[in-house]
Order: sequence, then C-alpha cells, then structure tokens
Amino acid sequence: MAKPAASLNNIVVCRRCDAVLSKPKIEPGQKATCPGCSALLYELKKNPMERTMAVSLAGLLLFFPAILLPMIGVSAAGTHNEASLIDCIIILLNTDYHIVAFIVFLFTIAIPIVHLLAAFYIAVAVHFNKISQSLLVFFRSYHVLDSWTMLHVFFLGVVVSIYKIVDLAELTVGGGLMSFVLLLICSTLVSVTLDHHYVWEKMEQALED
Amino acid sequence: MKTSAKAMGLGCCPCCHKVVKMQAETQQCPRCHRSFSVRKINSLSHTFAWTIAALVMLVPANLYPMMIYYTLGQPEASTILEGIATFIQFGMYPVAIVIFIASFVVPLAKIIGLFILMYHAKRASKLTVKQQGQLYHIVEFLGPWSMLDVFVVAIMAAVVNLGFLSSIEAAKGITYFGLMVVFTMLAAESFDARLLWDAQDQKPQTDDSQSQLNQAGSR
Ligand SMILES: [Zn+2]
Ligand SMILES: [Zn+2]
Repeated sequence: MAKPAASLNNIVVCRRCDAVLSKPKIEPGQKATCPGCSALLYELKKNPMERTMAVSLAGLLLFFPAILLPMIGVSAAGTHNEASLIDCIIILLNTDYHIVAFIVFLFTIAIPIVHLLAAFYIAVAVHFNKISQSLLVFFRSYHVLDSWTMLHVFFLGVVVSIYKIVDLAELTVGGGLMSFVLLLICSTLVSVTLDHHYVWEKMEQALED
Repeated sequence: MKTSAKAMGLGCCPCCHKVVKMQAETQQCPRCHRSFSVRKINSLSHTFAWTIAALVMLVPANLYPMMIYYTLGQPEASTILEGIATFIQFGMYPVAIVIFIASFVVPLAKIIGLFILMYHAKRASKLTVKQQGQLYHIVEFLGPWSMLDVFVVAIMAAVVNLGFLSSIEAAKGITYFGLMVVFTMLAAESFDARLLWDAQDQKPQTDDSQSQLNQAGSR
C-alpha cells in the first residue's frame, strides 16, 4: 500500500490548490504551471548560481551609498536640507515614532540586507559545492523574507515625495537615489535569477552523503 | 475531479516544496528540516485574529492626522482623506489617485478580501475556486503597497525642514497605519489558500445551482 519513496520524486503538489500532478519535464528557461489554478509549480533557470552571485554582490555593495548618501534635497530662501534613507529613520526616532521607525528600518534596510546576504551566501556555497547544514538555515530565512522586502514601495514613496515637493521648493536629486534605484533592480533580479528548485536538489544530494 | 495531496496522505513542505508521505499530523521535512502539517494549523483563527486587529487599526489610522505641515509657523494637520482632498484642490490628480488607491482603497479592499476568503474557506461558494485563488493572489500581492503613505511621510519629514518657512512632522495616525499594514500582511500569510479547494471538495455534487454555475462559467 505504501508507495516506494522513489515515486514521490516523480510527482509535484500544487501549493495553492493541493492538486497532485505528475512532474512535468521542462528545459532550463521554462516554467511549469498548475493546470487547475494556474499557480507556478516550479521553473528551471539558466546559470542560476553564477547570476545570483553577481547580482546579489552588486546589491550588497550598493547598499552603502543607497542608505548613506542623500536621496533628495530641497532648498528655499537660502536654507538647504537633504536627507538620506537613514535620515528618514533618525527623524522618526527623534520625534518619538519608534514603532514606525522600526517598521521602516525593517522593511527597507534590515530585511533587504539579510535577503541579499542569504542569496549571496547560498549562491557561493552551492557553486563551490561547500554545502553544509547551516546553508539550510540561510535558505529557509531567504524564503521567509522573500515577501517582506519593500524597496519598491519605498521607491514609489520617493517619487510621490518628489512630486509633492516640486511646487514647494527647489529640488535636487542626490547620489543616494541613483544607488537606491540600482539596488532595487539588483534585489528584484535576485528573485529572478535564484533557482529554488535547483538549490534544493543540490542540497538534498549533498547532505544525503 | 482532481485528487488532492491531503486525500492521498501526502504533504507538501511549505518551505522547500518536497512531497512527503505524512506519518503524523505534524512532521519534519526530510530535506529542509522544517516541521509542518498538511494544512497550516488553526489557519482560519490566525487569519481572523490578524484581520480584526487590522480592522481596529484602520479606524485611528483614518481619524488621526498622518502628518503635520507647518507653513510660516502655522501648524496644519491632515488625515489621509484630508490630504487627498488637498491634492484634488490643487489639481494634483495623479498623486491624489495614487495616494487614494494605496492608502485607502487597497487597505480596505484587503480587509474585505480576507473576510470573503475566510467565509469561503468554510463553505463552497458561488465564486469558482479559481476566482477565489485569484482573490487570494491579489490580497497577497497588494500587501506591501499600502506602506506607501508611511514611507512618504517619513521622507517628507526628513527632507522638508526649512526652519520657520515650512516643515513637516509625522503625526499619530502613521503608527496605526503602519501597524495596520503589517497586520494585514500577517493575515494574508497565515491564510491557507488550500482550504478553499478543500471546502469545494467536501461539498457533494448534489448542489445543482453550483454545478449549473460552473457549466455556465466554462461555456
Ligand atoms: Zn494548483
Ligand atoms: Zn522542506
């Protein structure tokens, strides 16, 4: 009655509708979707580890200018003020909005950094075949954080703020904003390049020995 | 009719998606060592609790001002809706629309959507399961976007600080608003979408109106 474990490797279960399907054969660059609810089952990507390494490293390096350099500055009647991402959080802390400061810090700095770090570490470890138990912890945290990065929303926030300030005072766009846009691109690309299916298969093979 | 993994005694790891034979109610994934059960435990109660918390936050988030705007020393506080009204007055329609959608329509739609999903997870409904799945997908996707206004206030407060000319400060409402967004995201996360399909499977095929509706949909 109990099926041998090998047959379980030939089926996939849809995460959204729980349908049991036989595993489709797909080539790198293709996606498999559930026929019932059209959710993504899994996909195979081209050169996943090399690409993820490059993109996540670039993202990590871009973090420093993106956080520290001023994003936008305003000047009117001889006074000038400019603010970086970190300034936004400091201002909130100074005006006693600790919860909001924490939320902004979490979604725009802490989670994206850990997310990129995890992706970089995983890509390096899998590429050089240095798979250890600790990698599991990293990849699990990568999964958890995947839906909690809000860099894109913050960027729209900057755009709306620029639109609001334009009428009020003279506006300058700082190097922080440029770096932030590049960081946003890198962080988005990481979820495009990292192949979960590939990483899990590699890890399973390596840890079984 | 499709077979569900649950009916076959199989479970799918939520983290690494490995298919395993369930030996117990809750067990550890052999691949990623995460313990999981066939369905998220008490999924509906968790979703319900977070949604109610978000709904409670929605009230002060809209009643209290999000920011205080000082022009020449004169303080002027505005709630989300008042802020939108000001933008319309000044003819800044694109911003008004973006803010209105992100900070009013989306949070409200998310909460209503969650209630609809919770209702349908209990009983088979007129909506096809596919539509419900899409609804869940939308609720999940919209999650972060309502943080927009919180970020805008943070940026404005940091940038616009020109001494006595004008300055912007964050105000009470922003805390409730931020919490509300976090709560709706937690609600969407704790909802187990597979319950929708379970509810449909449990319903016997004797429901005529249901089958007619499905036929009409597929024609
Ligand atoms: Zn499906
Ligand atoms: Zn697993």
